[in-house]
Amino acid sequence: MVRADFITGLILAALGIGALLISLDMPRFEERNINPYTVPGLVPAALAAVIAALGAMLAARAARAGGWRLRGLEVRFLADDAARRVALTLLLTLGYAAGLVGRVPFWLATFVFAAGFVILFEWPKGVAGRLRRIALALLYAALLAAVVTYVFQEIFLVRLP
Amino acid sequence: MPEGLLDLLTALQGFLRPGALFNVLWATLLGITVGMLPGLTATLGVALLTTLTFKMAAGDAILILICMYVGAIYGGSRSAILLNIPGTPANAATTLDGFPLARRGEAGRAMGIATSGSVLGTLIGILALATIAPVLAEFALSFGAFEFFWLAVFGIVISGHLTALDDPIKGWIAGFLGLMVAMIGQEGIHAYPRFAFGSTDLAGGIGLLPALVGAFGFSEVLIVMKQPAAEVVRAATDRVIPRLADLVRYWRTIIRSGVIGTTMGIIPGVGEDLGAWASYAAARRASREKDQFGRGSVEGLMAAETGNNAAVPGAIIPVLTLAVPGSAPAAVLLAAMFIHGVRPGPLIMIEFPTFIHDVVAMMLLATLAILLYGLVLTRPLLLVLAVPRERLMPAIFILCTIGSFAIASRLFDIWVMLGFGILGFVLREMRYPMAPLVLGLVLGDILDKSLRRGLVLTDGDLGPFFTRPISAVLWITILITVLLSFGAVRRTVSGLLGRNREGAP
Repeated sequence: MVRADFITGLILAALGIGALLISLDMPRFEERNINPYTVPGLVPAALAAVIAALGAMLAARAARAGGWRLRGLEVRFLADDAARRVALTLLLTLGYAAGLVGRVPFWLATFVFAAGFVILFEWPKGVAGRLRRIALALLYAALLAAVVTYVFQEIFLVRLP
Repeated sequence: MPEGLLDLLTALQGFLRPGALFNVLWATLLGITVGMLPGLTATLGVALLTTLTFKMAAGDAILILICMYVGAIYGGSRSAILLNIPGTPANAATTLDGFPLARRGEAGRAMGIATSGSVLGTLIGILALATIAPVLAEFALSFGAFEFFWLAVFGIVISGHLTALDDPIKGWIAGFLGLMVAMIGQEGIHAYPRFAFGSTDLAGGIGLLPALVGAFGFSEVLIVMKQPAAEVVRAATDRVIPRLADLVRYWRTIIRSGVIGTTMGIIPGVGEDLGAWASYAAARRASREKDQFGRGSVEGLMAAETGNNAAVPGAIIPVLTLAVPGSAPAAVLLAAMFIHGVRPGPLIMIEFPTFIHDVVAMMLLATLAILLYGLVLTRPLLLVLAVPRERLMPAIFILCTIGSFAIASRLFDIWVMLGFGILGFVLREMRYPMAPLVLGLVLGDILDKSLRRGLVLTDGDLGPFFTRPISAVLWITILITVLLSFGAVRRTVSGLLGRNREGAP
């Protein structure tokens, strides 16, 4: 955690400084004769400075606890089950919300996503009963897509993407 | 009959129609279900329902949201008792004694205690809401730009300090990040699009609801899927009707926890989680059976469940009177009120004179509904816990996607939901609290406008920010909180106090 804190602290400090520079660069509207205390960059600049300071403090504190030692840092890509599950979830959810939705009809996108999610996550349960599980997953996904599309379109009157 | 009580009865009468009662019943049941399911929190429930009810009449929609809120905080006790997994973060303290009771075969009794604690806690909170809110609203009329500026900073600093899991710096970082995100888009004085980089979507600002649905919905989907599969549900075998003896014996704990929970609710951005923990800690200190705490103490369970539910009406007090949310779900409720044309804040008693009593009546109905479900629907509700996460999570994510889209019909909001989901996941994995982030998102605009208006009023003089009495109380509290979080300062202060005590005759 200290190493992660050290790196996050540095990132936040950089982010804060970046936002501070952008804020200082915001227009002052002198030509409009506005009150100089209402310039748009005032509050963002103050907040950015606070974030930079807090980030630096976090990094400094983590560094004192030994977080600056980057040696021995190995990147183990998808090394354990938990990481693999998160990666698969990310792949499926982002594929659905950022890829399919808005490009194909909503019911179809929802069906493909729900079926894919259930089938892929139930895959490791073994060969025995796999066909039955897949059939059930397809049924579940079809039902889910139908119910969601109907309820939102007809009852909540949402214009679906 | 006192005027307030008469107003309350009139408000209650307004909801005693079949349509409203039907809404109370389904929304509370849905709330309990959402609360029971680990991974679905009260914040997400209220946020998703806000997106779905925004075409309804204001009164109906807010009634539904309040029932969802009360139901979810209560429902979370079920999975805490039966699975040792808090259904919502507010029920974390419930697991300490609830689960040991269930393991002893007293799951039904534990759920009965949770029901009675939640009902009584909400009632104590409601009493505070009905009596404090009108007074506080009147007091808040004396708040100007200076006070609102400090109130926003106060909220972020106190919330960051109290909700931080290991380091207050992380709480403050979360809070200031929230404030910073609120700066994106057109500002309220000159309509200059900040941090928009030429994008019209960014110039429109980051919507609070898509951001919250991401931070509490999508990130929770990721967290749930990360964990190994959940355990089997334990069935309740004994009676679930609360025992009168338990209530009579622990009446002091109930009242103390109710008061502590309500107070924690009122403090901006602190809310139910700390309401439960603070009540639990106080009950343990005062108890004659300290050794039982953590091993299935009825008193501990009662304290936790009374404390978290009392914080619900408590968190609504600052929402109504200051437009500052007491907790994360209350922040969503605040946003929903704005969507429905109710403007909470110091002027509430003038602009919407009946609204506080309406909210009290809604809370009372939600409380009656959890009592009803707690008594009659305990066993059927447990079936919900048997839904496997592989089936539940895709459905939740679909709701998150459609919910973010529904309000403004723009795909950009789905992107916001995704971005905040990933950000929320990373921050939570690194032990940053979410409540200050939410509070920052809500308070950003107040902070921005109040500071600039205050400076215009004084022509750049910072003096009034420090010398006006309420401002002074706020900034001194902020300063003390910040200073005391530094180990060196804390040690010096306790050293000085210790020396004084030794020196005293």
